[in-house]
Amino acid sequence: MLKGRIRNHIRKLRFLGSEMTQQQLAEKIGVTRQTVIAIEGDKYSPSLEVAFRIARVFEVPLEEVFQYDTTDAGSGGSM
Amino acid sequence: MDLSYQEKSILGSLLAVVVVYGYYFASVLRDASRPGFDGGNMARLVFTVVAIVVIEVVYHIVLALESKVEAKDERDILIECKAYRNAYFLLASGAFLVIASVMMASLAGDSVPTRIIVTPFLTINLVLFFMVLAELAKFLTQLFYYRKGL
Repeated sequence: MLKGRIRNHIRKLRFLGSEMTQQQLAEKIGVTRQTVIAIEGDKYSPSLEVAFRIARVFEVPLEEVFQYDTTDAGSGGSM
Repeated sequence: MDLSYQEKSILGSLLAVVVVYGYYFASVLRDASRPGFDGGNMARLVFTVVAIVVIEVVYHIVLALESKVEAKDERDILIECKAYRNAYFLLASGAFLVIASVMMASLAGDSVPTRIIVTPFLTINLVLFFMVLAELAKFLTQLFYYRKGL
């Protein structure tokens, strides 16, 4: 089975998007700030619905926010 | 340490259960040789349940005043589901153990050791013990996933 991990560029998109705070993003997508922190830190993969909401907030396609990385699966760190 | 509202809520409930039921089971152990479950035992159990409810209510009122109340989101619910799975496993294991001890006692007849195990007093408290253990497993699993991530 193909193994990998979901990575994201939310932190970068937040700063490009007029330095949106984690709290502001959390309120826009209907989750808590701790969940945004967990998503940014690759500690939680959101549901498809929340993933689409995030992409819509930044007005970019889903693939620009999330990538399924199979090259170095298992290594730590976030974007 | 930056704790979310949910983590603070769970931590408070965990401490309340440990302290109150810890005190309850310490007193139960002193009376372990009692055969029946009398009015005194019932009063002690009711007091323990009331104490837990009062502590939880007061703690959550203080918590709501001190920090912003946050509704559960999908991550909280997923963590809760994983926690309930562990709690269910412990509770089911405990139920199986109690059923097995009662069945063995019935089959053994007048065998003294098994009769000691299955007195009503111990059976009731053993069931309660596994219920508390399941609750603790739920809280600890939640705290673990909030810190480690899913």
